[in-house]
Amino acid sequence: MNTLTVNPLVAEVARVEEKIDETADTISLRLSHVSSKPLAYSPGQFNMVGFGGFGEAPFSFSSLDTGDGTFVHTIRAAGNVVSALQQLERGDPVAFRGPFGTGWPLADARGKSVLIVAGGIGMAPLRPVVYYVLKNRDSFRDVYLLYGAKKSDDLLYEREFARWNEGMTVLLAAEQVQSELDLPVHEGLVTKLFQSVHLSWPETITFTCGPQVMIKFVAGLLILDGQRPQDIYISLERRMKCGIGHCGHCQIGARYVCQDGPVFALADITRFQDTLL
Amino acid sequence: MDTSHVLSKDDVYRWADDLVGRFRVFGPVLQKRNQTTFESIQAGGQLNLDYCSTMLSPRSFIYPSVQKLLEIDRKANTYKVVDPGPEQTQLIFAIHPCDMHAITVLDRTFLGDFQDYYYSKLRQGTRTVVLNCNRACDKGFCPSMGTGPFLKIQEGYDIVMTALGDEFLLQAGSQRGRELIEAAPGVEAATEEHLQRKVAIERQAVASFQKSIDVQGLPELLMQTFDHPVYKEVAEERCLGCTNCTMVCPTCYCYNVMDRSNFGPTKVERGRQWDSCQDLSFAQVHTGNFREPQQARLRQFLTHKLCTWLEQYGCFGCIGCGRCMTWCPTGIDIIDMAKEIQRAPTRGLEQE
Repeated sequence: MNTLTVNPLVAEVARVEEKIDETADTISLRLSHVSSKPLAYSPGQFNMVGFGGFGEAPFSFSSLDTGDGTFVHTIRAAGNVVSALQQLERGDPVAFRGPFGTGWPLADARGKSVLIVAGGIGMAPLRPVVYYVLKNRDSFRDVYLLYGAKKSDDLLYEREFARWNEGMTVLLAAEQVQSELDLPVHEGLVTKLFQSVHLSWPETITFTCGPQVMIKFVAGLLILDGQRPQDIYISLERRMKCGIGHCGHCQIGARYVCQDGPVFALADITRFQDTLL
Repeated sequence: MDTSHVLSKDDVYRWADDLVGRFRVFGPVLQKRNQTTFESIQAGGQLNLDYCSTMLSPRSFIYPSVQKLLEIDRKANTYKVVDPGPEQTQLIFAIHPCDMHAITVLDRTFLGDFQDYYYSKLRQGTRTVVLNCNRACDKGFCPSMGTGPFLKIQEGYDIVMTALGDEFLLQAGSQRGRELIEAAPGVEAATEEHLQRKVAIERQAVASFQKSIDVQGLPELLMQTFDHPVYKEVAEERCLGCTNCTMVCPTCYCYNVMDRSNFGPTKVERGRQWDSCQDLSFAQVHTGNFREPQQARLRQFLTHKLCTWLEQYGCFGCIGCGRCMTWCPTGIDIIDMAKEIQRAPTRGLEQE
């Protein structure tokens, strides 16, 4: 037992480089890392972001690590920490700890087809997957992105859809279709888009994130259609205070969402209680 | 354990007097209503070495219920670590084997892949003198969990003592412990006869336990019976969600983090305090609560201690001390619940 010099509860400081209004209640913050300590993160990982006085909350990276020391978090108004984060302006300091957790198993998906299913803010942790696939397009077979939201105005990153659609099939759905987007928006739930997906399940890996109820129905549909539960990966949201498997809040059975997740193979997590899946 | 020593009972108290001069010593002290609690002692004479169980285990000396973590200056953007102390090296005297075992269980959480700075410092700065139990306590079932009544772990503690009538057998578990024993007044080498007496007393102690559970296959069974009706029945009939079980449990490690600040807020103090999976808001996020029903929370406590902990940390989260059932206001007994599942694992499935 050696006394530590590292304290994983001490935050680092980042500065706001850019603030992007995404939707009525959602912003993205591009942050730059102040210290020279390397920050290498992979798609699906998260930071604990916050301020003294308001606390910290977990946010997935919505950017792909390009090695320039910047990273993006997309943040929807919900709770104390977020209200404080949304008031930040360019140049303001913000504290973060991370990166934490396991990412999407992109290496395992190489050589296969990829199905990405996102709901609402659940697109944020999947955007780096989209970027990664586009960057390494030759490594993957057929790629679909199905993205749904309650209202079409709530679809995040719509300015990027046309570009994404050049490298993969992007299908959009909203229960309420509002203004016109670059790509057509189908009226209804994201699951409705499955009709237009033609994939061979044994050679497909699915990555999905969104409201629990969406994940539940997406996974159910895929399994009924023949995809194996171990080929379906989900990213879960849970309450977190530490990010390092100590505070206990995010626990699901024998798994910590912060440390063993937030990305799980469906088969690994549904064997436990209280997943609500 | 290379060498064993003996001290007379009187010398044990004298030894404790010496230790008080060198360390901040916490030991069992008899209080009103026949309750014993761990207190900071000033003299060996305050010790109650014949105690059964305490409401709170000595975990709080290593993992305090409330702890300052950081002083944050929001103007300067600095995060200053609050030294967890201890100001003086601590010593826990006469901690029972189950509670010592519990600290080594906490080690697996706080000194695992990520190491908790505060826990690590206090753990390092605390010496532990274990006192083996010569008789069962009311609700204890440590023999079933492999955590007592005599110490079962080989490391992670400094000294283990066994009361042999008017003498105490002292055995070191670490170099630090060896040094403490050598400095004890009136210490003598133990004989073969002392060691034989220890074995006999342990046998008697084990036999004195009324409560037991067969844990063979229990984790596997609990993994298959998450929907057993016993959770709903006990939760609805008796569980108040009061969190007592988790507050007294020596292996519970969950914490909440709180920021306290001036009105600026420019100066912020970040701290933590024990939290409980039995609290309604524990698994609450803005979109919902993952453990809202009482039965889900009760099930979390039971299955974590007796089932999923094993997969996480390679040991049970239950050390068989019996505190959760002792201090439950409605007497919920997770061992009775687990036994009900063992008795009728498919109950509730027949109707389907």
